[in-house]
Amino acid sequence: MSKKYGVYICTGCGIGDVLDMEALVDVPDEEGINCTTHPFLCSKEGVAQIQKDVNDGKVNAMVIGACSRRVNFDLFKFDGCIVERVNLREGVVWPHSREKYPALTEEQKDDEEHFDRIQMKAEDYIKMGMIRVEKVKLPEPYKTETFSRKILVLGGGITGISAALDAAKAGFEVTIVEKQSKLGGYAAQMRSQMPVAEPFEQLITPVIEEKIAELQEYPNITVKTSTEVARIAGQPGEFTVTFKKPGEKIPFDVPFPLPPEMLLDEKGNELDAEAQHAKYLEYNKGRLDILKLDPDGELYGAVILAAGWRPDKLKGDTYAHLGIDLPDVITNDEFEKIAAKGKIVRPSDGKEAKEVVFIQSPGKDEDDADFPYCGSVTSQVALKQAKYVRNDYEDGKAYIIYQHMRTPGLQENFYKSIQQDNGIFMTKGAVTEVSNNGDSLMVGAKNTLLGQDLNIKADLVVLANGMVPVTVDDPVVNLAYRQGPGFRDNDIFGGYADSNYICFPYETQRTGVYAAGAIRRSMTIEESIEDATGAALKAIQCIESANRGVAVHPRSGDMTFPEFFFQRCTQCKRCTVECPFGALDDDEKGTPKANPTRCRRCGTCMGACPERIISFADYTIDSIGSQIKAISVPSEDDYDEPPFRILALVCENDAYPALDMVGMNRIDYSPDVRVIPVRCLGSVNSIWIKDALAQGMDGVILIGCKHGDNYQCHFVKGSELAEVRVNKMGDALKSLALEEERVRFAEIAIDEYDKLPSLLSDFVEEIEALGPNPFKGF
Amino acid sequence: MSEKYLVQPDLKFIDEITGFGAETLKKCFQCATCSVACPIAPENSPFPRKEMIAASWGLKDKLIGNGDIWLCHECGDCSDLCPRGARPGDVLSAVRYAAINEYAQPKILANAVKDPQKLPFLIAIPAIWFAILAYITMAGGETMTKLFHNFGLEWSHGGHDVIAHANFVSTWLVDITFVPLAAFVVIIFALSLKNFISDIHANAVAEGKTDKTTIDPKGFLLAIKDVLPVIFKHDKFNECEANQDRATAHMMVLYAFIGLFVVTNIFFVVLYIFHIPGPYSQLNPVKWLANISGAALVIGSALMIKNRLSKKDQVSSYKDWYILGLVFALGATGLLTEMTRLAGSEYLTYFMYYLHLIAIFNLFAFLPFSKMAHLVYRVTAMAYASYGNRK
Repeated sequence: MSKKYGVYICTGCGIGDVLDMEALVDVPDEEGINCTTHPFLCSKEGVAQIQKDVNDGKVNAMVIGACSRRVNFDLFKFDGCIVERVNLREGVVWPHSREKYPALTEEQKDDEEHFDRIQMKAEDYIKMGMIRVEKVKLPEPYKTETFSRKILVLGGGITGISAALDAAKAGFEVTIVEKQSKLGGYAAQMRSQMPVAEPFEQLITPVIEEKIAELQEYPNITVKTSTEVARIAGQPGEFTVTFKKPGEKIPFDVPFPLPPEMLLDEKGNELDAEAQHAKYLEYNKGRLDILKLDPDGELYGAVILAAGWRPDKLKGDTYAHLGIDLPDVITNDEFEKIAAKGKIVRPSDGKEAKEVVFIQSPGKDEDDADFPYCGSVTSQVALKQAKYVRNDYEDGKAYIIYQHMRTPGLQENFYKSIQQDNGIFMTKGAVTEVSNNGDSLMVGAKNTLLGQDLNIKADLVVLANGMVPVTVDDPVVNLAYRQGPGFRDNDIFGGYADSNYICFPYETQRTGVYAAGAIRRSMTIEESIEDATGAALKAIQCIESANRGVAVHPRSGDMTFPEFFFQRCTQCKRCTVECPFGALDDDEKGTPKANPTRCRRCGTCMGACPERIISFADYTIDSIGSQIKAISVPSEDDYDEPPFRILALVCENDAYPALDMVGMNRIDYSPDVRVIPVRCLGSVNSIWIKDALAQGMDGVILIGCKHGDNYQCHFVKGSELAEVRVNKMGDALKSLALEEERVRFAEIAIDEYDKLPSLLSDFVEEIEALGPNPFKGF
Repeated sequence: MSEKYLVQPDLKFIDEITGFGAETLKKCFQCATCSVACPIAPENSPFPRKEMIAASWGLKDKLIGNGDIWLCHECGDCSDLCPRGARPGDVLSAVRYAAINEYAQPKILANAVKDPQKLPFLIAIPAIWFAILAYITMAGGETMTKLFHNFGLEWSHGGHDVIAHANFVSTWLVDITFVPLAAFVVIIFALSLKNFISDIHANAVAEGKTDKTTIDPKGFLLAIKDVLPVIFKHDKFNECEANQDRATAHMMVLYAFIGLFVVTNIFFVVLYIFHIPGPYSQLNPVKWLANISGAALVIGSALMIKNRLSKKDQVSSYKDWYILGLVFALGATGLLTEMTRLAGSEYLTYFMYYLHLIAIFNLFAFLPFSKMAHLVYRVTAMAYASYGNRK
């Protein structure tokens, strides 16, 4: 594309009042680029004016100096054009006022003493915008060689069946894979279930049978029972799936990556790529490499993971006081199985169990935590099972001792109706002991609502055991990915298949694999059915994005994807290893193989690559590097006391909107900071930081999302990797005789915008204390 | 408090109090809004939150002998503010009635009084009894006169020239009925109170609501003396802000009973010591007291009935209607008896008197079994709270 440049500057919203527009227009003018100003650029007329220039063939790569790119993005969208938004409003004139930074008088303009810090910032931003449109190109969509619109559902329980029905109703072809010989999962083993519809009051017959029957109505649903997935190879849109009988060993069983200690030789040095690969093949003997595609495999577009849960195994000292080894102390799961068979009886002697104590938390008083993997489900299950006792015996008594009674949403009605039963007794309390008491059991509890320590005689004690997602035991999805068959570092999610619980439900750490039901968190049947719909829609979204070559999420619609300049690749594998989504596989030599539809376009690979050979069409090492170089760094040659220059690389997901909020709230921070939004801090390549310092900038700050437990990084690992990289830069800086304090990593949540001004200004003050960068002016 | 409490829920007890008007008790989710709202709950283990969970767990042992239930004056603030509509005020009222039932002996009477289906029997007993007495008086006058002369007593207390109710049912026979009945009631109350006091003390000790370990009879009697002014002035009742109007009506009924009690005793002395039979002059100050008390009884009980009828948010069950109806009937038949007598309508006034006697009998004989027994239990519990330094 031959670029025709144009710059448009809006003078509305105070931009024209604060800035010296003539001087600003001079910036593109000096480059010979046409610059148009408009008092109200986002008005119909303003947009029409740009559109006219586009239609007339005058411009196709434009810089729009107006408001933040987070607003009016729908207006300033011109097909086939490169558009760069320069944030003059939220980024320049709103946070910095003329009261604080008065405009220069005519005499001041030419002396070497005075400078206009607001104007300098605006001019830098225009320059940075101009260089970016010069450096980037329009993306072209990536298309897979083959494409399947079929959806694979792993798990034939309530969630899987519901998801299959939803996807089938939307017109997609679906295959359900179930390990067991028949469908239904746990939902088919229950006596009754919690309500799923208004008025949410009574126990109902499990809905699973209806759902199974409903499957018959959809010829586009295929059911494979007694089947599991040996491997899922490839990428969304063209997953090649190999099925097998459970327990079978076949060549297309998924191989596992080498454990870290096996990557080293006897001396502890890392093996080279080919030696590692040989070892890996040895380690996975009988299983073919991930890059070997099964010629008989079936193609699928997306996967819904609904493999569910298993009951937790309670053992050890933590639960010793609950008498877990006594025959009549059982779990809610065992109780359900007894109930499904008939009347509630004791496992020890088969006698009627008329007095049953349901224990919701391990208690003892140390803390009020529930059993692991509990959630609100176990509260509701206890209510349900208490009702069984009452339904079976007129003189039955059911006690529920809880630390938390959770009945979210309209299940509150269910709680209320259960509460009405005269024979169901509930109290908050800490269970201290369960012991044998002659023919029965005795449950001791303290801190109860009755104001006394209690002893309760029981025929049977039921523990609110949690629902462990099967991903804790097994990869389940068996992805033929270089990073391994399951979800990496899944511990931070407690083993649940998830990637960012709050922001991106259903999304796992692997694009194209969407989790629903109890594999995502412990859920009731009602919740699982709803969850299934969410995952089905997500799978559909994936197919409908991958087929057009655009990203699914979180950068939905992004048409760019990582491109590699392989001639310079050193096979260091960093990109393969660091990709948070396992998008890259490497071959036996360690050369990365991109799987663009797996990619979420965060740019972590680009940040990782020491050779800087990875780029996106509109986001490259050079495009950001050139923006940095476009920042003017005044030196003593220019002014007696030149202003400092600080570079802020700011994550566009949370930190950049927060910075916009600072502008909207007209809160000032140092105008010497130059902000460049980045896709994720993970995409920040250290060369940018070095370049900035080498050209005399005084400090660099990276602002991203919180990481660690309860992380908020949209790409799971980005900000964490960035911090590691920043810490590693210390030595490199020292070798340049620069203080490591000049580079800072900071975390901010989107609701902490109020902390940003001081964060930035404090950093600038610290840098000022260090003094100017000695490279300034070179 | 280290002693563990063995929980033994009584499902029948839950059914029972539900029948007494506590049908909402299971709605409680223990937020304690009620205890905070209650204007008279003490700071140390305040009611009625703890009573609510004990009730919904059917812990009869924690409720029947719990003095706190009697400290509540049922203002209804808790019921108004309860976020779940569990109506603690009504629950406590039901629990109190269950306690009355529990302490009252013999059980057969207690069971009869609480059961609306037994009401015809409760009315039939005095109705038949007084019919017999009326027959004896009216048909056997001469025989009785002779009989009484043997003991040197005058049978007839009625004059021949005026309408006197003694001519319908002999005063002798009336008093032969009521004096032993009163004694019976006193004995039943005495027996009940013995258990009651020891229970509420045990409960207070167990729940840490008192600093006393034993009950010293003298101190306890002094405590009664202390709480009587509180009761007469309805101080506690008036602390219940939601119920100022009810306090007035209740006070009228209380003072009416006191007035009538005084009048009855004076005339008893006048009749049997000074041998002056009625009817007494309307100019007599004692008669004034009688008339004022009678009117207060009718007006007070009518107001209470009106209150209960108009209050949609308060549950009123048979126990409430039985006693209110009885009190109203008592006052109304009393006044009508007098009015019809003054109007000179002999048979009508006899009939009214007959009804009046039935009402008195019901009130007296069933006093320990009806809600009316609160007068004894509440006084005792309030005295105990004062004695035991309930704070």
